[in-house]
Amino acid sequence: MKRSIWTAPLALVFATQAIAQDAVVVTQWDQFAQSGISAAGPAMDELIASCQPALNGASVLRTVAPSIGIRDSYRLAVSAGKTPDLAYTWPAASVLAGYARVGALAPLDEYYAKYGWDQVNPFYKGRNSYDGKAYGLPMEQDLMGVYYNKELFKENGLSVPKTYAEFQALAETLKGKDIIPIAFGNRDRWPATNTFSLILGLTAGRALEEKVLFGDEPWTNPTFVQAAQTFQDWAKADYFPRGFNGVGYDEANALFLSGKAAMTVTGTWVLQDMIRGADFDMGVFMLPPISADVPPGTMWGEGSQWQLSATSTPAVRNAAAAYLNCLVSPESRQIWVQKGHSVPIGTTPEELAAWGADPVVQEFFTAGLATPDANFYDLHTTLPESVTQVLYPELQRLAGGDASPEDFLASLQAAWAAADANGERWRP
Amino acid sequence: MSARTAPLFILPAFLLYAAFVVIPILQVVGYSFFAWDNGIAQDFIGFANYARLGSDQIFWAALWHNAIWVVLTLAFPLLAGLLLASILAERGPRTVQIMSAIYFIPRTIPLVVAGIIWGWIYNPLFGLLNYGLDLVGLGNLAGAWLAEEGTALLSLNVVGAWTFFGFCVVIYLGAIQSIDPSLYEAAEIDGAKWWRKFCDLTVPLLKNTTFFLGLYAAIEAMRFFDLIWVTTQGGPGYATEVLTTHVYKTFFLVGDFGYAAALSVVLLVIVLGLSAISFRLTRA
Amino acid sequence: MTNFNKHMRTMVLALFALYALAPVYLVVLASMRSESDLFDGPLSLPWPINTANFHRVWSESGFATFFFNSLKISVSVTVLVLLTAPLAGYAFAKMRFRGREPLFALFLAGLVVPAPSVIVALYGNLQWLGLIDSHLGVILPQTALLLPFAVFMMRTVMQEVPDELIEAATMDGAKPLYAFLTVVVPLARPGLMSMTLIVFLFSWQEYLLPLVVLQTETLKTITVGAASLQGRYGVDYGGIAAAGLIAFAPLVVLFLLMQRSFVRGLTAGAVK
Repeated sequence: MKRSIWTAPLALVFATQAIAQDAVVVTQWDQFAQSGISAAGPAMDELIASCQPALNGASVLRTVAPSIGIRDSYRLAVSAGKTPDLAYTWPAASVLAGYARVGALAPLDEYYAKYGWDQVNPFYKGRNSYDGKAYGLPMEQDLMGVYYNKELFKENGLSVPKTYAEFQALAETLKGKDIIPIAFGNRDRWPATNTFSLILGLTAGRALEEKVLFGDEPWTNPTFVQAAQTFQDWAKADYFPRGFNGVGYDEANALFLSGKAAMTVTGTWVLQDMIRGADFDMGVFMLPPISADVPPGTMWGEGSQWQLSATSTPAVRNAAAAYLNCLVSPESRQIWVQKGHSVPIGTTPEELAAWGADPVVQEFFTAGLATPDANFYDLHTTLPESVTQVLYPELQRLAGGDASPEDFLASLQAAWAAADANGERWRP
Repeated sequence: MSARTAPLFILPAFLLYAAFVVIPILQVVGYSFFAWDNGIAQDFIGFANYARLGSDQIFWAALWHNAIWVVLTLAFPLLAGLLLASILAERGPRTVQIMSAIYFIPRTIPLVVAGIIWGWIYNPLFGLLNYGLDLVGLGNLAGAWLAEEGTALLSLNVVGAWTFFGFCVVIYLGAIQSIDPSLYEAAEIDGAKWWRKFCDLTVPLLKNTTFFLGLYAAIEAMRFFDLIWVTTQGGPGYATEVLTTHVYKTFFLVGDFGYAAALSVVLLVIVLGLSAISFRLTRA
Repeated sequence: MTNFNKHMRTMVLALFALYALAPVYLVVLASMRSESDLFDGPLSLPWPINTANFHRVWSESGFATFFFNSLKISVSVTVLVLLTAPLAGYAFAKMRFRGREPLFALFLAGLVVPAPSVIVALYGNLQWLGLIDSHLGVILPQTALLLPFAVFMMRTVMQEVPDELIEAATMDGAKPLYAFLTVVVPLARPGLMSMTLIVFLFSWQEYLLPLVVLQTETLKTITVGAASLQGRYGVDYGGIAAAGLIAFAPLVVLFLLMQRSFVRGLTAGAVK
């Protein structure tokens, strides 16, 4: 008798708890396509399954948005107050700060404290913070480098340049042999931001970039002018194919893969497609510093970051955070590398070797991860959208010879000042 | 009877139209008076968004490009349509049907697909236009058509004309067929050459049709978006920026709803103004 | 230009036929090329003709889905327009009531409204209604945007229905809707046919609305799918050409079959 009095309410408690747990659904937006050459969707599904214990009964409801569109879709979701509980989107820095500023995102500091997440170094943590609070958990790692055709290099007696002067000589030699030095296409408007960011970092260095981003140093400073001049010089000197402003990013990559161009300067995000597409021996190297007083380094950033909605209930947030912790664990990172065709932040060159990553992947990341203190910013994933939308057309004009380096930077400075006055500046 | 049933007949169309066109337009007008941050309304700022128009170089460039587009459309597809329709008018019905079908086919192709096709033709790496120029020994004329500020807008207009001139042919044909044939017969008796008849009879008699097509072209020139968006996205630089792409970028890419709304209102005022003026003119 | 003789005029006709057809021909060519190496002779004839590109985009790249999505949306829009515009056009043409002129002017104004200028508010409204990322979220606004044209055209068509026939029907005691369906609709059938075709054409060609409203890959329309192919599959030009052909072939066929009806519809709007 007594026993049943006790057990009945207890059973009820357990039952309601089970229902409550069943009811925890984490809605997730991500960019992992289900089909295609380097689709990571199946890996994502596998990880959701293997992270079930961390979810502790909660379930994940995925919506796949293409990576080009998710950036805009997420902004519109913020405007309507209908953000998903969990989103894997880009960019971080100013854009993430904007969402935090209007209160759309939940701070992640308690989860950083609880789970450690030490793989996120101060550079990345800063890019994912606003006003002293963390709002994003960056996952994929993007690096910028130079892909090159080893066979073309060998046939023409060329070797990987150690200095910028050697790089210039190399490009001149290639031109002399009627080979396009750098496959570059900027019809899609964004590729030039990567190329220019790389040149800028290797000309000005991270310290000066930060004086502009966080201090009062203007964009029009002489070192930035020199970087803009260098980019325009590449175009003027025919390092790029004819009509590059009308060539698509994929067409440029195809030009490189077809053996008509010797190099292409782009990021790790196309590594898998390049490895699959190259029927020649392909290698990567890091562009040497352009200014003598700038240390070797490269442009890096998070491919995307996870962020949590401020409107989610604490139960959903906790479940999502535990799930995220599982997604970035060493075991999960191995799955990302082996089946998801990406390299999460925190993955070491040794791990890549142990997990059997392609030699070119290892080569790329070994080089890029060797200079963590010198690595610098990618402009269009760092600036506010209002500045980025000026950067895109102005870079087309700079490269096309329609704007001088000074005019180009004056336009950026004006957009930057307007954004700053509008409170859009990101302060980590 | 009519007084009671008419509203019922109009109601379904009106409800849809009001809900998805009229109300959003009113909202857009309202939006334009606020400051927005990431798509969330902040303060009422009166006409401050409109004040920005004056110093917005891109807005003026876009407006200028829209104007150029109107002129180019009047100059090429309209003229071509008139000429072709006049030539066709004196051919057999079978020829008329086949040829006007051929000319009209591009109009049935979605502008997105037209943009992709012509993007290949203009492509600087493997484009057929440069290839063809090379083939006939004019290789030095080859260019990066859509990628150079000097040629981008003009090259795109050729695509626009491609989809539009067949429509002009069809409209002009319809109008020519309603011209009294005795006028032409009289001219022939006077020994007038084809070209004289074209200039002295066809062109003046089709004035109203030309006016209609001109207005149509002008309004379409203010509204078009798809073609630019799939080819140049307004580039290189701002060379093919038009009002609609500027609205789209300001709204979707920058997220500045207030200014995008102000731009939308300006766009609306222009097209409604254009049509109101022409409505007056046709009435007069 | 004084001796612009018949042969020269025929030349002009032929030249413009080339302008109209050459790009179409190029797409057909590219879609049937087995080895789509775009850096080699683009004019080389594809031989043997092969349909691998079509198979690939149709079944692997989801174009079957895109095609049927477009079909579903275009048919729905056309049906909705057919259900609403003829009634309204008839009322504007044949009925007298207060506020007829201003109401018609309101519809007329809609003829020129650019979709990008309403989208700023429309997007939020659709989100509020829960219609974002659904076909209904494309169908309803698109119907609304096409209604001014359709109502305008229907009014023109209905004006030509003789008053005596309508009066005779109502005299016999028929309800207005009954008279409309039994007397007016049969007489206006050619006009209705033209409107149906044109609305279907416009709806199929629409790009901005589905681009903005639909996010899920499997909901997208054929225009959005064709545009997104450009970046996603690198330089699979054979595939893109096949996709383009799938996107416009039905319209070309429809137009060629129904040319007379199309032309009647277009000129009806224009010449009045």
